[in-house]
Amino acid sequence: MWTYILKRLLHGLFSIIGASLLIFVITRLTGDPVAMLLPPEATEEMVRQMRATLGLDRPIWEQYLIFASHALQGDLGMSYRWEMPALTLLLDRLPATIQLASAGLLFSISVAVPLGVLSAVYRGSWIDRVGKTLAMAGQAMPNFWVGLILILVFSVSLGWLPAYGSGSFRHLILPAIALGSYPVAAQTRIVRSSMLDVLDSDYIKMGRILGASESVLVWKYAFRNAAVPLITVLGVYFAAMLGGTFVVEVIFAWPGVGRTVVEAVFARDFPVVQAGVLFTSVVFVTVNLLVDLSYGVIDPRARVNV
Amino acid sequence: MKLRAARLVTSMGFALGLALASLPAFSRDADTVVAAFSAETTTLDPARSSGTVDRFYYFHLFEMLVIPDSKGNMSPWLATKWEVGEKDGKAYIDVWLRDDVRFHNGDPMTAQDVEFSWQRQRDPKVSLTASRHRNVEGFEIFNDHYFRINFKQPDGNYLAEYLQIVVMPKRYFEKVGSMEAFGAKPVGTGPWKFVSREIKRELNLTRNDDYWNAKNGPKAKNLTIKIIPEDLTRVSALRAGEVDWIDNVPLPLISEFKADKRFNTFSVQNGNFVYLDFPSHNKALPFAKLPVRQAIAHGFDMDAILKVVLYGEGNRFAGIGTDSNAYDPNLKPYEFDPAKSRELLAKAGYPNGLDIPCYSLTTPREPNIKEVSEAIYAYLQQAGIRCQIRAVEFGAWLDLLRRANPPHLDGLSIHMSAQGIPSDPGNSWSSSALHSYAPEIGFGTFSQTADPKADEYVQKIQQIMDMEKRRLLIQEAARYRQEQVLGGISLYQPRTTYAWNKRIDFTPWAYPGYWHLFQLVDIVD
Repeated sequence: MWTYILKRLLHGLFSIIGASLLIFVITRLTGDPVAMLLPPEATEEMVRQMRATLGLDRPIWEQYLIFASHALQGDLGMSYRWEMPALTLLLDRLPATIQLASAGLLFSISVAVPLGVLSAVYRGSWIDRVGKTLAMAGQAMPNFWVGLILILVFSVSLGWLPAYGSGSFRHLILPAIALGSYPVAAQTRIVRSSMLDVLDSDYIKMGRILGASESVLVWKYAFRNAAVPLITVLGVYFAAMLGGTFVVEVIFAWPGVGRTVVEAVFARDFPVVQAGVLFTSVVFVTVNLLVDLSYGVIDPRARVNV
Repeated sequence: MKLRAARLVTSMGFALGLALASLPAFSRDADTVVAAFSAETTTLDPARSSGTVDRFYYFHLFEMLVIPDSKGNMSPWLATKWEVGEKDGKAYIDVWLRDDVRFHNGDPMTAQDVEFSWQRQRDPKVSLTASRHRNVEGFEIFNDHYFRINFKQPDGNYLAEYLQIVVMPKRYFEKVGSMEAFGAKPVGTGPWKFVSREIKRELNLTRNDDYWNAKNGPKAKNLTIKIIPEDLTRVSALRAGEVDWIDNVPLPLISEFKADKRFNTFSVQNGNFVYLDFPSHNKALPFAKLPVRQAIAHGFDMDAILKVVLYGEGNRFAGIGTDSNAYDPNLKPYEFDPAKSRELLAKAGYPNGLDIPCYSLTTPREPNIKEVSEAIYAYLQQAGIRCQIRAVEFGAWLDLLRRANPPHLDGLSIHMSAQGIPSDPGNSWSSSALHSYAPEIGFGTFSQTADPKADEYVQKIQQIMDMEKRRLLIQEAARYRQEQVLGGISLYQPRTTYAWNKRIDFTPWAYPGYWHLFQLVDIVD
């Protein structure tokens, strides 16, 4: 087991180094940030000075080594535009993004689980068809569009919920729905197919023969086992949501990491982009590792393979 | 079970709906005006500013010595008067300050503060716009409210851009001890005082009750500026009553807002002007030939494009923008005449037309800018100029236009830049658009032109400190630019629309370029 964990940690470390190297090179291929920082009347001397101040006059391999050695000490550089450490800029915004991603995930599960279970229990019925349609609709509609429609209906027309911003539970509802509507379809399918397998198993049939009520059979015995595949992918969904909140953050003026990083991409604020990608890759690697390890905890059969 | 599930879902939905409907969507302070801006500043320290957006914010806190009047001419503000003179062959400007101005922390504003502000703004380690002060030699302070700015060489641009200096408090800066501390809690002389700021979210200000110009100051007690980048969200927030004021109403919604009795609107030409540029400096390319440049200029119907693509929200002009103090009404835009374009192309040696790259900017730096360029390129096709459209994002576009390093522009490109509006384009012509590329003096950074006569005009304009003579020379240069089709083809000035609800009484500040400033605002409902 420990060998397995060590191996996975090493793989993770290589992935993070690879991601950091890749983003370091790619950002520098996009062009010169000094061109966007200085006004047109800046002299060549000012341009040279600025490039030297930002360390952009050194060879790229040297820039990377400096970046990596500083990163190991927790210093991911100063933002070119915000006059603060890139890491601080992102960490200050991180709670808002975690809050949004958690709420989005919670929304998607709370829709996908009942929908998946009911679709399996009433396979082929109208409930199954409605469930499929709703799930597919969530996947078919881009989240920026869902966001705008939600704002028009619940903020402008009904006046029930705020159109933008953060700070209270009510602010969280619309962005969470916009973010969480997309994975509903996939999660519903996982729950449904897993429930169908379990409902067809011998111990459920035996339960019916012994006279257990249908709701007890479905929720207490069948769903517990059927939930295992969903739980194992939730971590990956959470990581994907942490890295994919940008569009929803822009639509709802949500002060999160995604919006900060994408704006930094357009402004060529290299330290913030690098910090953002490094952060996302660390989250992905960590979550994937935890998910893989959790297989063994949730399903004892998986321990054999490990 | 089927029935129970359906009942459960229905009752949960009903309960949720009731709960939401019973609570207000948002709560707000009765004394606070809430505005929503589409773009966010990265700094509240004027010396660290790098763009126009920063001014939208810091001009609530800080002020300049002089500001433009409604015609774009210099008008007294923190300075009561100024006089241009010459001593030992060197130019100077004497400036007299008001003696009743205090900073937000209570310190009086003096000439020492102005000199300190200049020192910060001219220091390249502090300021990104230090080069604007490169011709100033130093200050001579005669008393607390009277000083002299000495020049190494005459600089008309300094006057044309309203003496450049934004006044910051020397003693307070020294007390807080660092640039970061000053930026985190800025203190100025402006109508609003800093309260708090949360990046990506909001800036909170409170009225400066000791404002020197209380008659022209805000009546509302507090101001919160929210950052809402998405157009439709910003509009929805205004419609839902969550904010009182928004900038940049999207083009398709302007007429709807203007017809809606719940809102007031104000449309104005913004400070940018949009033009079509081409590398006429490169002798190997067809743009070096005047008939080719003329053929392009006559090859598209800008009026139709403005009407259809921009919903009429742009002002056509030739040479210099209509709200510049150097505007010349006698200069008319090029007429749309595709037949003439084809003739000119034949005259230039291209009887079968031309195939050229045409760059389209995908980043919406101005509304529908990509669509405008593509419409122009489509028109040019009829005139025999066949465009191979290449889409570029803003960063790549800047690299293409910046002359210092390759890649270099090899075709047509839409371009936008400030033209010193409401002043004159002297600085813009020298730094980017018209003067040839001269990196040692910071001229022609984005210039696609190399014409000795145009260079001579631009250099002379910079050295004239008599503003009337400067205006006349600029108009002469504009005529030459138009005849020779140099420094790009002027297309239009975009119009920006602001909207606000009846809860507030907002008067757009009378001074051009200050449209985001909440100088005159009150809560009436």
